[in-house]
Amino acid sequence: MHLFWWFMFAQGGVIAAVLIPVHVLVQGILGPLGIVPVVDRHYDTWVSMLGNPIVKLYLLVLIAFPFFHFAHRLRYLLVDLGLPAAKGVPAQALFYGGAVGVTLVTIWVLLTTIPISLG
Amino acid sequence: MTTEAHTAQPEYRWRMPADWWARQRHYFLYVVREFTALPLALWLLWLLVEIKRAGDGPGRYAPHGSMPFVVFSVVVLLFALYHSYTFLSLAGTILHFKVFDRPVPSRLIVLSQFGLWAAASVVVGFALIWFAR
Repeated sequence: MHLFWWFMFAQGGVIAAVLIPVHVLVQGILGPLGIVPVVDRHYDTWVSMLGNPIVKLYLLVLIAFPFFHFAHRLRYLLVDLGLPAAKGVPAQALFYGGAVGVTLVTIWVLLTTIPISLG
Repeated sequence: MTTEAHTAQPEYRWRMPADWWARQRHYFLYVVREFTALPLALWLLWLLVEIKRAGDGPGRYAPHGSMPFVVFSVVVLLFALYHSYTFLSLAGTILHFKVFDRPVPSRLIVLSQFGLWAAASVVVGFALIWFAR
Protein backbone atom coordinates (compact mmCIF):
# COMPACT_ATOMS: atom_id res chain seq x y z
CA MET A 1 0.00 0.00 0.00
CA HIS A 2 2.90 2.30 0.85
CA LEU A 3 4.32 1.62 -2.62
CA PHE A 4 0.96 2.59 -4.19
CA TRP A 5 0.94 6.04 -2.53
CA TRP A 6 4.55 6.67 -3.56
CA PHE A 7 3.72 5.64 -7.12
CA MET A 8 0.76 8.04 -7.19
CA PHE A 9 2.90 10.81 -5.65
CA ALA A 10 5.67 10.39 -8.23
CA GLN A 11 3.39 9.99 -11.25
CA GLY A 12 1.25 12.91 -10.11
CA GLY A 13 4.37 15.05 -9.88
CA VAL A 14 5.52 14.08 -13.37
CA ILE A 15 2.09 14.69 -14.91
CA ALA A 16 1.76 18.05 -13.15
CA ALA A 17 5.24 19.07 -14.32
CA VAL A 18 4.89 17.94 -17.93
CA LEU A 19 1.25 18.73 -18.75
CA ILE A 20 -0.22 21.46 -16.54
CA PRO A 21 1.82 24.50 -17.72
CA VAL A 22 0.68 24.21 -21.34
CA HIS A 23 -2.97 23.85 -20.30
CA VAL A 24 -2.73 26.93 -18.07
CA LEU A 25 -0.97 28.91 -20.80
CA VAL A 26 -3.34 27.97 -23.62
CA GLN A 27 -6.69 27.54 -21.83
CA GLY A 28 -6.13 30.04 -19.04
CA ILE A 29 -4.32 32.89 -20.82
CA LEU A 30 -4.03 32.71 -24.63
CA GLY A 31 -7.60 31.49 -25.20
CA PRO A 32 -9.41 33.96 -22.92
CA LEU A 33 -7.32 36.83 -24.34
CA GLY A 34 -8.32 35.80 -27.88
CA ILE A 35 -4.71 35.39 -29.02
CA VAL A 36 -5.33 31.88 -30.37
CA PRO A 37 -8.51 29.83 -30.91
CA VAL A 38 -8.80 27.25 -28.12
CA VAL A 39 -11.00 24.20 -28.07
CA ASP A 40 -12.92 25.08 -24.89
CA ARG A 41 -13.86 28.61 -26.06
CA HIS A 42 -16.68 27.25 -28.24
CA TYR A 43 -19.38 24.82 -27.20
CA ASP A 44 -19.26 22.66 -30.36
CA THR A 45 -15.52 22.06 -30.38
CA TRP A 46 -15.39 21.52 -26.60
CA VAL A 47 -18.23 18.98 -26.62
CA SER A 48 -16.75 17.23 -29.64
CA MET A 49 -13.43 16.85 -27.85
CA LEU A 50 -14.98 15.83 -24.51
CA GLY A 51 -16.89 13.02 -26.20
CA ASN A 52 -13.69 11.31 -27.30
CA PRO A 53 -12.91 8.39 -24.93
CA ILE A 54 -9.14 8.94 -25.25
CA VAL A 55 -9.59 12.59 -24.25
CA LYS A 56 -11.73 11.50 -21.29
CA LEU A 57 -8.99 9.13 -20.16
CA TYR A 58 -6.37 11.84 -20.67
CA LEU A 59 -8.39 14.37 -18.62
CA LEU A 60 -8.85 11.82 -15.85
CA VAL A 61 -5.08 11.28 -15.67
CA LEU A 62 -4.38 15.03 -15.97
CA ILE A 63 -6.74 15.98 -13.13
CA ALA A 64 -6.74 12.99 -10.77
CA PHE A 65 -3.06 11.94 -10.54
CA PRO A 66 -1.65 15.35 -9.55
CA PHE A 67 -4.03 15.54 -6.59
CA PHE A 68 -2.24 12.61 -4.94
CA HIS A 69 1.00 14.54 -5.37
CA PHE A 70 -0.57 17.75 -4.07
CA ALA A 71 -2.09 15.98 -1.06
CA HIS A 72 1.30 14.67 0.04
CA ARG A 73 3.10 17.97 -0.52
CA LEU A 74 0.54 20.10 1.26
CA ARG A 75 0.27 17.70 4.21
CA TYR A 76 4.02 17.76 4.79
CA LEU A 77 4.14 21.52 4.21
CA LEU A 78 1.75 21.89 7.15
CA VAL A 79 4.00 19.61 9.22
CA ASP A 80 7.03 21.73 8.31
CA LEU A 81 5.18 24.92 9.17
CA GLY A 82 4.59 23.66 12.70
CA LEU A 83 1.40 21.62 12.52
CA PRO A 84 2.42 18.10 13.64
CA ALA A 85 -1.23 17.03 13.63
CA ALA A 86 -0.92 16.92 9.83
CA LYS A 87 1.11 13.71 10.32
CA GLY A 88 -1.79 11.96 12.02
CA VAL A 89 -4.25 9.48 10.61
CA PRO A 90 -7.17 11.98 10.44
CA ALA A 91 -5.03 14.34 8.33
CA GLN A 92 -3.95 11.45 6.10
CA ALA A 93 -7.58 10.47 5.63
CA LEU A 94 -8.49 14.08 4.85
CA PHE A 95 -5.73 14.73 2.31
CA TYR A 96 -5.49 11.36 0.55
CA GLY A 97 -9.23 10.85 0.92
CA GLY A 98 -9.63 14.24 -0.74
CA ALA A 99 -7.48 13.07 -3.65
CA VAL A 100 -9.60 9.92 -3.96
CA GLY A 101 -12.71 12.13 -3.78
CA VAL A 102 -11.47 14.37 -6.59
CA THR A 103 -10.72 11.25 -8.65
CA LEU A 104 -14.25 9.91 -8.15
CA VAL A 105 -15.84 13.29 -8.93
CA THR A 106 -13.69 13.58 -12.09
CA ILE A 107 -14.78 10.12 -13.25
CA TRP A 108 -18.40 11.06 -12.56
CA VAL A 109 -18.13 14.38 -14.44
CA LEU A 110 -16.38 12.78 -17.42
CA LEU A 111 -18.92 9.96 -17.67
CA THR A 112 -22.09 12.01 -17.13
CA THR A 113 -21.41 15.41 -18.75
CA ILE A 114 -20.89 14.49 -22.40
CA PRO A 115 -21.64 10.96 -23.69
CA ILE A 116 -18.80 8.96 -25.19
CA SER A 117 -18.70 9.38 -28.95
CA LEU A 118 -16.63 7.14 -31.19
CA GLY A 119 -17.45 9.06 -34.36
CA MET B 1 17.16 2.79 32.58
CA THR B 2 13.95 0.75 32.84
CA THR B 3 12.48 -1.42 30.12
CA GLU B 4 9.56 0.99 29.95
CA ALA B 5 11.91 3.82 29.08
CA HIS B 6 13.43 1.68 26.31
CA THR B 7 10.11 0.81 24.69
CA ALA B 8 8.31 4.14 25.09
CA GLN B 9 8.00 6.16 21.90
CA PRO B 10 10.06 9.34 22.17
CA GLU B 11 8.01 12.50 21.85
CA TYR B 12 9.61 15.18 19.74
CA ARG B 13 8.49 18.68 20.35
CA TRP B 14 8.35 21.33 17.66
CA ARG B 15 11.38 23.54 18.26
CA MET B 16 11.57 25.55 15.05
CA PRO B 17 10.66 29.25 15.17
CA ALA B 18 7.46 30.06 13.31
CA ASP B 19 9.30 32.09 10.70
CA TRP B 20 12.09 29.56 9.98
CA TRP B 21 11.13 29.46 6.31
CA ALA B 22 11.65 33.21 5.92
CA ARG B 23 15.15 33.18 7.38
CA GLN B 24 17.04 31.69 4.45
CA ARG B 25 16.50 31.88 0.71
CA HIS B 26 16.75 28.08 0.36
CA TYR B 27 14.10 27.51 3.01
CA PHE B 28 11.82 30.05 1.37
CA LEU B 29 12.21 28.45 -2.06
CA TYR B 30 11.54 25.03 -0.53
CA VAL B 31 8.26 26.29 0.94
CA VAL B 32 7.33 27.94 -2.37
CA ARG B 33 8.05 24.63 -4.14
CA GLU B 34 5.76 22.73 -1.81
CA PHE B 35 3.13 25.48 -1.94
CA THR B 36 2.89 25.25 -5.75
CA ALA B 37 0.50 22.34 -5.14
CA LEU B 38 -2.27 24.66 -3.95
CA PRO B 39 -2.64 27.00 -6.98
CA LEU B 40 -2.21 24.07 -9.37
CA ALA B 41 -4.96 22.16 -7.55
CA LEU B 42 -7.27 25.19 -7.75
CA TRP B 43 -6.66 25.55 -11.47
CA LEU B 44 -7.38 21.86 -12.12
CA LEU B 45 -10.63 22.22 -10.18
CA TRP B 46 -11.49 25.13 -12.47
CA LEU B 47 -10.80 22.85 -15.47
CA LEU B 48 -13.14 20.27 -13.98
CA VAL B 49 -15.83 22.98 -13.67
CA GLU B 50 -15.21 23.98 -17.31
CA ILE B 51 -15.78 20.35 -18.33
CA LYS B 52 -18.95 20.15 -16.22
CA ARG B 53 -20.27 23.39 -17.76
CA ALA B 54 -20.20 21.75 -21.19
CA GLY B 55 -23.24 19.83 -19.95
CA ASP B 56 -25.23 23.08 -19.69
CA GLY B 57 -26.01 22.98 -23.40
CA PRO B 58 -25.07 25.29 -26.28
CA GLY B 59 -27.32 28.13 -25.15
CA ARG B 60 -25.98 28.41 -21.61
CA TYR B 61 -22.33 27.44 -22.11
CA ALA B 62 -20.02 30.39 -21.44
CA PRO B 63 -16.30 29.67 -20.90
CA HIS B 64 -14.37 31.64 -18.30
CA GLY B 65 -12.69 34.62 -19.90
CA SER B 66 -12.70 37.44 -17.39
CA MET B 67 -9.55 39.46 -16.67
CA PRO B 68 -9.38 38.24 -13.01
CA PHE B 69 -9.36 34.68 -14.36
CA VAL B 70 -6.53 35.52 -16.77
CA VAL B 71 -4.54 37.14 -13.93
CA PHE B 72 -5.20 34.07 -11.77
CA SER B 73 -3.95 31.86 -14.62
CA VAL B 74 -0.78 33.96 -15.01
CA VAL B 75 -0.03 33.50 -11.29
CA VAL B 76 -0.76 29.77 -11.54
CA LEU B 77 1.49 29.52 -14.61
CA LEU B 78 4.42 30.95 -12.63
CA PHE B 79 3.88 28.36 -9.89
CA ALA B 80 3.41 25.63 -12.52
CA LEU B 81 6.70 26.51 -14.23
CA TYR B 82 8.48 26.50 -10.88
CA HIS B 83 7.03 23.08 -10.05
CA SER B 84 8.11 21.76 -13.47
CA TYR B 85 11.62 23.16 -13.19
CA THR B 86 12.25 21.88 -9.66
CA PHE B 87 10.55 18.51 -10.13
CA LEU B 88 12.16 17.65 -13.47
CA SER B 89 15.57 18.83 -12.23
CA LEU B 90 15.36 16.19 -9.49
CA ALA B 91 15.19 13.42 -12.09
CA GLY B 92 18.98 13.24 -12.32
CA THR B 93 19.18 12.48 -8.62
CA ILE B 94 16.27 10.05 -8.45
CA LEU B 95 16.57 8.10 -11.70
CA HIS B 96 19.54 5.85 -12.39
CA PHE B 97 19.90 3.88 -15.62
CA LYS B 98 22.59 1.81 -17.19
CA VAL B 99 23.11 1.47 -20.95
CA PHE B 100 25.60 -1.21 -22.01
CA ASP B 101 26.65 -1.53 -18.35
CA ARG B 102 27.50 2.16 -18.20
CA PRO B 103 25.52 4.56 -16.01
CA VAL B 104 23.68 7.27 -17.94
CA PRO B 105 24.97 10.69 -16.81
CA SER B 106 22.47 12.53 -14.59
CA ARG B 107 22.66 15.61 -16.84
CA LEU B 108 21.45 13.52 -19.76
CA ILE B 109 18.54 12.19 -17.69
CA VAL B 110 17.53 15.73 -16.67
CA LEU B 111 17.85 16.86 -20.28
CA SER B 112 15.58 14.03 -21.42
CA GLN B 113 12.96 15.07 -18.85
CA PHE B 114 13.00 18.66 -20.05
CA GLY B 115 12.82 17.36 -23.63
CA LEU B 116 9.78 15.29 -22.69
CA TRP B 117 8.20 18.40 -21.14
CA ALA B 118 8.85 20.46 -24.30
CA ALA B 119 7.52 17.75 -26.61
CA ALA B 120 4.38 17.18 -24.51
CA SER B 121 3.75 20.93 -24.37
CA VAL B 122 3.97 21.24 -28.16
CA VAL B 123 1.67 18.25 -28.78
CA VAL B 124 -0.96 19.29 -26.19
CA GLY B 125 -0.82 22.96 -27.18
CA PHE B 126 -1.18 22.03 -30.84
CA ALA B 127 -4.18 19.78 -30.08
CA LEU B 128 -5.93 22.44 -27.96
CA ILE B 129 -5.57 24.97 -30.77
CA TRP B 130 -5.95 22.72 -33.85
CA PHE B 131 -9.22 21.13 -32.72
CA ALA B 132 -10.70 24.59 -32.09
CA ARG B 133 -10.90 25.12 -35.84
